[in-house]
Amino acid sequence: MFNVDFTKIVNLLKFDPSDPLLFGSSLFLIVFFFLILFYRIFATSKNARILLLLFFSLFFYYKASGIYFLLLIASSAVNFAFGKFIFESKSAGIKRLLLIFNITLNLGLLGYFKYTNFFIEIINDFKLGTFDPIDIFLPLGISFYTFKAMNYVLDIYLESMEPTKSFRDFSLFVFFFPNILAGPIDRASQFIPQIEQNDLVISKEDIGKALLLIMSGLLKKVVIADYLSLNFIDRVFDSPLRFTGVENLFALYGYGLQIYCDFSGYSDIAIGISLLLGFKLMDNFNSPYQATSIADFWRRWHISLSSWLLDYLFRPIQMKFRNLKMFSNVIAILVTFVLCGLWHGASWMFVFWGLLHGFYMSVSMFLQKPKRMLYQKLGILNSKVLKVFQVLITFHLLAISWVFFRVKSFEEALNIFGQIFNFFDYKIIPQFVEGYTPSFILIVLGYTIHFLPKSLEVKSASILGKINPVFQALILAFVIWFAAQIRSAELQPFIYFQF
Amino acid sequence: MISERLHKIICSTLGLQEDEVEIKDDTLANQVPGWDSLNHVNVITAIEKDFAVRFKSIEVLKCKNVGDLQKLVDSKINK
Repeated sequence: MFNVDFTKIVNLLKFDPSDPLLFGSSLFLIVFFFLILFYRIFATSKNARILLLLFFSLFFYYKASGIYFLLLIASSAVNFAFGKFIFESKSAGIKRLLLIFNITLNLGLLGYFKYTNFFIEIINDFKLGTFDPIDIFLPLGISFYTFKAMNYVLDIYLESMEPTKSFRDFSLFVFFFPNILAGPIDRASQFIPQIEQNDLVISKEDIGKALLLIMSGLLKKVVIADYLSLNFIDRVFDSPLRFTGVENLFALYGYGLQIYCDFSGYSDIAIGISLLLGFKLMDNFNSPYQATSIADFWRRWHISLSSWLLDYLFRPIQMKFRNLKMFSNVIAILVTFVLCGLWHGASWMFVFWGLLHGFYMSVSMFLQKPKRMLYQKLGILNSKVLKVFQVLITFHLLAISWVFFRVKSFEEALNIFGQIFNFFDYKIIPQFVEGYTPSFILIVLGYTIHFLPKSLEVKSASILGKINPVFQALILAFVIWFAAQIRSAELQPFIYFQF
Repeated sequence: MISERLHKIICSTLGLQEDEVEIKDDTLANQVPGWDSLNHVNVITAIEKDFAVRFKSIEVLKCKNVGDLQKLVDSKINK
């Protein structure tokens, strides 16, 4: 009666490096539906729920990285053991040694998979030797789950938390599929206690919030980020000299929106899916382009990474060099941001991008007092005009930095800036709007929505949470259908997967 | 209890009026106006200077709130 081709189904569920389970793909929607179904059936049995999530997460990771799911299990086992050893050891010296060993192990593994070829390139470039690049598979999400697991060990060392006795619970924290490939890099101290809740109770507010996040994440990713990149931004960035300054400038503004929508869209869906499973992950974005300074931006952008770097890298360096007073901040800022750049990928452009942010932050730190005095003199301190001005300046500093994040070489970046400064004619703007109407509308719309007050989001979530579940499902189905219609081609991989 | 002396150092480093800021044991650094991650270094060095003590970096990193910092100062001056 039913002629099901099981080999096809098995092939669909097998590891395929070019086809991870992307949120929003049809396959993900189907398997997630079954997951939720069984998850609800097991609502009263905590153990069954946890096991289901563990196995589903391992399958999710296997689909993206194949045999490297074993690496994930090994990473979890090693970090769990280190957490226990550090906590139980009585001597501060041994604790310290264990921590150093643990950090070396984690970063060594990350370094091998991510940076080996970069170091080979450096050795070759500086003529220190001649080596051929090695073919190394990069297990997806390794930067994210390594940092997640390290946070557990570091917090135990800093006495911010006690280790969990359950290897199962710790593994779920590391494997948890919604945030394993691209964050948020959640904190063990906040996640693990949630596993121990006995009953699965999800409030109406959380359901409303989850639906809103999943829908907005999908629309951000498919409608704004993918559409803009395929139809406008990639074309300009691939050959900037073929376009005028106007197109280059709009591509630069567009890329700021694209990367935000791509990455925060992923985070939104991850947080939304987690809420439906009864877990609250940490916030990862808070309207970052509303920032009034670069420091403010880093409190709003990729919060889970910036707070990780602040707690475990910036603060220790700052304390180590504190005799140098404000210069200890400069050292800590520069080291943190260069490593933050390198965390994103093994290339000089990421290093430069990090360095540029470090430079922005250091300069603004020294200008803080004179600026304050100037604003006081002009009588504009705390005024709206000043805030608008600060947001605009910060946004443009960020837009400049994104160019270095996006391009492959300095030459490409200089070409883009060259076109903007040398071939900009505002009379071309109407022509540009006519030629790229949908992209122009999306850029304007995207930024307008970005600047809407947060209260609107809260209100929408609360309304969505109160309506009948059938209508909720219908609305969600409509948004998924709408996104599928807009989808220009195959769903584009999320930019942050490569990190 | 946060000692008057510690309260005074924190306020004078951050340019705050002493009577306008309440600092309790469970107060977090970021709840005190101006005590951000950059100014943190000024607060810590000012405390070390005033009490003539020297903290280990790890001791400061372990402090979760001002109460912990007070305990750390007390442990140093009672040595």
